[in-house]
Amino acid sequence: MSANGARGAAPAFREDFLESLSNAAGVSGDEHRVREIVAAAVRDRVDTLEVDAMGSLVARIGVEGAGVRNGNARTNGSARKGRLPHVMLCAHMDEVGFMITAIEKEGRLRFRRAGGIDPRVLVGQVFRVGGAGVRGVTGILPPHLVSHTEEDKVIAADDLYIDIGASSREDAMRHVAIGDTAVFDTTYEAWGSVRKGKAFDDRAGCAVLASLVQERPPVPVTAVWSVQEEVGLRGATAAARRVAPDLAIVLEGTASGETPGAGPEESAPRMGGGPTLTVHDRSLMADARLVDLLRRTAAERRIPTQWKRPGIGGTDAGRIALSGAGVPSAVVSVPCRYIHAPAAYLDVRDARRTVELVWHALRAIGKEWSES
Amino acid sequence: MSPASLKSAAALDSLLQPLLAAYGPPGRESAVRSVLRRLLRGAGTWEEDAIGNLHLHRAGEGPRLLLAAHMDAPGIIVTRLDGETGQARLSILGGRRPAELVGAPLRFEDGRAAIVSWDRKEGADPEMDQLLVETGVGRAAGRRATRANGSRPLDVGDVAAIDDRPARLGDYWCSANLDDRAGCAALVHALTRARRVRYDVHAVFTAQSDLGARGATTGTFGIDPEMAVVVDVAHLGEPKETSGFSLGKGPCVTLKEQGFLAHPEMLERVRKAARAARVPLQYLIREGEGSDARAVRAARSGVPTAVIAIPARRTGGVGSLVHATDLEQTAALIAAILEGAGGAAGERSKSKRTKTKARAGAGRTKRGGRT
Repeated sequence: MSANGARGAAPAFREDFLESLSNAAGVSGDEHRVREIVAAAVRDRVDTLEVDAMGSLVARIGVEGAGVRNGNARTNGSARKGRLPHVMLCAHMDEVGFMITAIEKEGRLRFRRAGGIDPRVLVGQVFRVGGAGVRGVTGILPPHLVSHTEEDKVIAADDLYIDIGASSREDAMRHVAIGDTAVFDTTYEAWGSVRKGKAFDDRAGCAVLASLVQERPPVPVTAVWSVQEEVGLRGATAAARRVAPDLAIVLEGTASGETPGAGPEESAPRMGGGPTLTVHDRSLMADARLVDLLRRTAAERRIPTQWKRPGIGGTDAGRIALSGAGVPSAVVSVPCRYIHAPAAYLDVRDARRTVELVWHALRAIGKEWSES
Repeated sequence: MSPASLKSAAALDSLLQPLLAAYGPPGRESAVRSVLRRLLRGAGTWEEDAIGNLHLHRAGEGPRLLLAAHMDAPGIIVTRLDGETGQARLSILGGRRPAELVGAPLRFEDGRAAIVSWDRKEGADPEMDQLLVETGVGRAAGRRATRANGSRPLDVGDVAAIDDRPARLGDYWCSANLDDRAGCAALVHALTRARRVRYDVHAVFTAQSDLGARGATTGTFGIDPEMAVVVDVAHLGEPKETSGFSLGKGPCVTLKEQGFLAHPEMLERVRKAARAARVPLQYLIREGEGSDARAVRAARSGVPTAVIAIPARRTGGVGSLVHATDLEQTAALIAAILEGAGGAAGERSKSKRTKTKARAGAGRTKRGGRT
């Protein structure tokens, strides 16, 4: 038990990771800046670190020599007698954002959304465009020039453009190329236990995962920071096939519901209410045994948990669960207010508790899963 | 009816009843697995996989044949609660329209009962967000609640099945769970009565089919079959089929459905087996509806697949009707396939066989090496 002998307390949640990850731009397909930050944060802590063919970052800890199965084996989801289960932990690096699709004669940038963004949040926003992070705004006429009837209308996303202040197409093309991505220009901030930033879905999960691997986990772990989740759970689909784990836990930043107009029972989960567990979403029936283990672990550690509202959303776990001959999978999320929008909030205590919960769940998995 | 087929029909009835009665919404199929293990005791070696599929291997000479029927039947999951009134909102697990669920009795796995009601709006079919689970257990009752009296309050994520009361109506079976417990029963019956089986048979009773052929995706990967037959139920007119079929006129063989086009060689195999077993066949072409076949046929490097569908008719509520003779003939057809009536191993071209056999051998060695 050399590699995975650590049995200490859970590692600390690294807020510095969250800050730099939230500020980095990484729209689906363009995750390299995020990947570099994660790689720098974990490089010295893991046995192997590689980038797979799609761009996901894959780190192994205690996996080599642990006799884990390979991709073509059949499994009944339980570890073989006498060896610890191989757990895949996964968080996606990409965020919802925009891609520049055309540059008009007047220098205006037309764009398409990458991932699910409500068109109502697009108007009047500031964006960072392309590798250089040129600022641009989705300009509309000032109120002086708008009639009262027009004020009540939402402008369709296709009618909006990003204005970087360029005077012509040639001028714009000095800073931006077609195919460049753009993100909301939002800077991370902290007050009290509240943290504000963009892309908490899923940089919160990325930071939780990077924090977890600062210590050697109690079971063999392959940590995957996946690409292209927001456009169809793509990176994890490929990674899961290659990792071929015994179990998987996906780490997410998920939508909390406490917004004006939501009834009391619609408001779950709440920011500050603790790590959020999934029973069922559009992609996954979470493995009942793994969910039970997470709940028991939380109760033992006095960590409050809450349920994600069933039947909505989907995560990488849906694809991992169906990879190979099947992988028991669960999702643990940090509840975040206003995801898929310019700025989101989370409660840093939820992120800390998520690290603690997953860490102790890994210990419980090591004890319970290998005996079955 | 001959005495032999009367006996067979009685046997099928006694298989179907416990299967229809078993609790098994998607992802919660353990009771169905127990019933199947009991019905097929001693029929081969059993395995359960990570997603909940139940896999029976009956070792034999010949190509690896996958037979699949899904265990899950539609249910609901609790999404939101009103602790004061004991009402809850729900999300439907599986292919049921909200209108069909209005008034349906529900049963949770631990035995608690509930009923589906709705926010009534005249003149339109209800949407899912108008449906309510009425438990009768509000805050006051919840305080007195014990598990024993079945009035423990609900929790978000609780899953319920339709509390079904299967009935035999003349020649028909009526139940909410016929899709696809009827297919399971036909498969069990065929496995029990087939002699001289010409295949290495892998029967997989799949989980989570109603959520998008999920069990079939992982189950087929694990088995790596050389050919497959999926047994499911097809409902008249749902949502649209372009070739007419009727109840009581024999099993359907699917020509086309969502994500699936019949494999010509497998289609011919089914046709020949039907002729040998004197089973009339109907043809099914359906749009926007599918079965486990779309996952089975696409597994690994592809699997020649046929779909046999038992004709059914919706009652308008939660129930469906299946003609007992169709069920009996479906079982007879599958048994005939197992006995090689459609042309067994020898029918495949020699080069193909050598290749598949070699691959099978290698696969087994590898698996053996790892366990």
